[in-house]
Amino acid sequence: MTPLFLTSDRWYDIRDLGNLSRALLDAADKILPGGVVYVLAALIGFVASFLLFVLPSQLIIGVYGERRIIGRMQSRLGPNRVGPFGLLQPIADAIKLIQKEALTPTQADRVVMYIAPIIFVMPAVLLWAVIPFGENMVIADIPVSLMYFLAVSALPVIATFMAGWSSNNKYSLFGAMRIVSMAISYESPLVLALLGAVVMSGTISLSGMVAWADEYTIWMVFVQPLALVIYFICVSAELNRTPVDIAEAESEIVAGYLTEYSGMKWGLFYGMDIGYALAASGFAATVFLGGWTFFGLEEWVPGWLIFIAKTHLFYFLFIWTRGTLPRLRADQLMAFAWKFLLPLGVFNLLIVSTERMLWAEQDYAKGLIYVFALVNIVLSVGLVYAWARFNGYRPERTPTRPRLVKQAGGYIPVGERP
Amino acid sequence: MTGIIKSEPFVINIGPQHPSTHGVFRIKATVDGEKVIDAEMVMGYLHRSMEKLAEERTYTQNIPFTDRTDYLSSMSNNLGYCLAVEKLAGIEVPPRGNAIRVIMAELQRLASHCMAVGAFANDTGAWQTPVMWAFREREKILDIFEVTSGARLTCNYMRIGGVAFDLRPEFEPMVRRVLREFPPFIDEMEGLLSENEIFIARTKGVGVLTPEMAINSSLSGPMLRGSGIAWDIRKADPYCGYEQYDFDIPIGYNGDSYDRFIVRLEEMRQSLKIIQQALDGLPGGPFRTEVPLALRPPKGEAYARIESPRGELGYYLVSDEGPSPYRFHIRPPSFINLSALKEMTVGGTVADAIVVLGSIDIVVGEIDR
Amino acid sequence: MDGFGVSLAFWVLAAITLVAAGGVMVSRNLLHAVLFLILTFVGVAGFFVLLSADFIAMAQVIIYVGAIAVLVLFAVLLTPRASRDNGETRWALPGVLLSVCLAAIFLFVIHDTAWKTRDGVPQGLSASDLGTALLTTWVVPFEIASVLLTAALVGAIMLTRSPEEEAEDALA
Repeated sequence: MTPLFLTSDRWYDIRDLGNLSRALLDAADKILPGGVVYVLAALIGFVASFLLFVLPSQLIIGVYGERRIIGRMQSRLGPNRVGPFGLLQPIADAIKLIQKEALTPTQADRVVMYIAPIIFVMPAVLLWAVIPFGENMVIADIPVSLMYFLAVSALPVIATFMAGWSSNNKYSLFGAMRIVSMAISYESPLVLALLGAVVMSGTISLSGMVAWADEYTIWMVFVQPLALVIYFICVSAELNRTPVDIAEAESEIVAGYLTEYSGMKWGLFYGMDIGYALAASGFAATVFLGGWTFFGLEEWVPGWLIFIAKTHLFYFLFIWTRGTLPRLRADQLMAFAWKFLLPLGVFNLLIVSTERMLWAEQDYAKGLIYVFALVNIVLSVGLVYAWARFNGYRPERTPTRPRLVKQAGGYIPVGERP
Repeated sequence: MTGIIKSEPFVINIGPQHPSTHGVFRIKATVDGEKVIDAEMVMGYLHRSMEKLAEERTYTQNIPFTDRTDYLSSMSNNLGYCLAVEKLAGIEVPPRGNAIRVIMAELQRLASHCMAVGAFANDTGAWQTPVMWAFREREKILDIFEVTSGARLTCNYMRIGGVAFDLRPEFEPMVRRVLREFPPFIDEMEGLLSENEIFIARTKGVGVLTPEMAINSSLSGPMLRGSGIAWDIRKADPYCGYEQYDFDIPIGYNGDSYDRFIVRLEEMRQSLKIIQQALDGLPGGPFRTEVPLALRPPKGEAYARIESPRGELGYYLVSDEGPSPYRFHIRPPSFINLSALKEMTVGGTVADAIVVLGSIDIVVGEIDR
Repeated sequence: MDGFGVSLAFWVLAAITLVAAGGVMVSRNLLHAVLFLILTFVGVAGFFVLLSADFIAMAQVIIYVGAIAVLVLFAVLLTPRASRDNGETRWALPGVLLSVCLAAIFLFVIHDTAWKTRDGVPQGLSASDLGTALLTTWVVPFEIASVLLTAALVGAIMLTRSPEEEAEDALA
């Protein structure tokens, strides 16, 4: 990839931390034998991305920040006792969970129950291998990073299922199956939404998307707003977050798939829920929000700081909807996915393919993309509205205030004047 | 080719420990796949035999019992009981006592509806944000109760012949503050919930109660009014001087949970109107007629009813000229309202059953007494 | 395709895949068998990566693990409990004989073929090549496959409708 902006190659230029790691690896290559430097590269990548960025983010923003922000939304304080401003709360939670006794029912399948949280952790860690933090700061710059995301997001479904089944509890199996069916229903609109972004930028790799955003100085969100909205809803469903969290909620009644899990096993599910949400936010920041570029600001501010800011901004959207919206019923959720989101995704694909074709004929003129952005924004709003009305959504038919009567009389049917 | 994939109905227990705040109450639901086929209610987890215990105590000593039946609207409970005893003994209440009673009953209606509306939104899954906002407002009202009667929840404030204590000087500014700050809160709840697509999808058409069914099951309160029947005891059979205040009765359209929700929100607005009028026209004078400690009403029976936040709360007293009542019976609105639960839940899903239960707004203390 | 890392990866992946495939056959519990099957799929995806066919590797995981394995899991779960045991059957001996014959045929064919190896890194199949092929050379099978899948989807929904829903549809 051609250098897009003015960075030096010196190892102390922290605007691109890839320089630092490259210097380290070059030095190590002289000392160590053969291919061991690859292992070292992977290790450095893992430490840098997961341990230094994701885990603290997860703990601070995910556990602590989320509870504080939701607390403020509910006009109460969040946790503020443990440590200064309550910042040590996640550590306290982790210690509590580790020292808790993780009960396993006798009839349950121990091996599968043990493995399920491990498989659940895998996507949250694996996804960070392909997300670009900066120009040279990708651990594995594969040409199909987007599909890697989709492939890895198939794993939590299996883990959920294993968790529900191994608990040997009729109701957790029921709940787990419901969650799995919801997750796979929301995978189709997710793929279609991402496909819109792929068609527009012409590349499946994430670094390619960032390069496209930088070259045409526009973020994908302006060209494909509908895709971002569909992506947000579908990823919320994959992550089992409100308003689509029938995993946690229906568990009041049908004792969801997590009932038999306690102690750190549950802690892993909970923590990696947040980790996976952060990964999905990072992914959205890269594809839709322009990654580590910011219309030229990345020459002064380090790209990875910009990227971290965008990730957390997107994660705030998750927190916001969680604190505000009530939950949908399971069958309403599936109807929404199949009848509303999937056709919208298909329409979006149609529009974007037409535009790409027109654009190719104009030899990818830079000005045309802004026209497309404007047209797409207007079309998205119109499409959502039209499709909702076509599906029978009539908001004016729902009165939000009751009728008022003065005298205590008999029954007044609807339609007669009170 | 249909019917090949059969599902077998099985029984699940909703309760007795609810995650929502309805108390210890159990529904044995027979579920076939997703649909509820049968719902049987099992109550009695909170039975404290108040009615029997009341036969050992004097009339005044029974007032704290009534606090604890419907612990979310203790002022209204006290009021109903005192009205029954006054009817039995033929005691007149001075106008100041009546006005104070009206203010307290309406404030209690506000507090109880806050709780009902918040808990209902919590049942649909709005992760406690409406509950916290509702409780923030309820705190102001509970502070008023504490200043006046000494307790926040089980106030024990009404006495036979009036109220226990006179109003303190801090009372009026606090009530004026509530009158000022409550309408924005109701607007907030409307903006957050009544116009929220997800909330409407969750509650519209859920737990529909036809008017015939409502009248046949002798329902009352917001359940009755949600189905379009304009019946409010404050208008139909006024007590405590309600006929002098100007207020409306909100009635719903279809009788589903959404209508009951908006009826409750509107009732809060009307209560604010009543409190405003009562506070502006508060007469002076005595607040209680003197009544002997061990009251011995003449032989007879009396039934008095009030419009509590949940419906018609009735008290039936039989006296045999002793210091204690011969028979003391409470007609709890939640218990009678629950008899329609089966019709409302059968045919829906389990999630709908929870929403319907939230919209009935039960308090188990008065179901089991 | 040389290099120590590549050989190591190949042997490790081969071991995982074969052990998992063996686990599918051998495990008594049907659900364990399905989980081993998922591991086999992932192993095969790893082989695709070794051959530099990255798109196909990801597609393998998405389709096989994400959709087909879930389908098998649902199917296994919705059947009555009795047939969930991968137990003894009187077809064991004929099965073994048949697989020995098949294995013998395969081994003879593998031994007798003149395998040609190509030097250098294999040319992976990029997404754009696949896309072009699917939409120009192979467009008819592509469309027929999508029609077939739609028919299967509609048929599945038809099968699970209860009688009163069917009556509703007939009237509407």
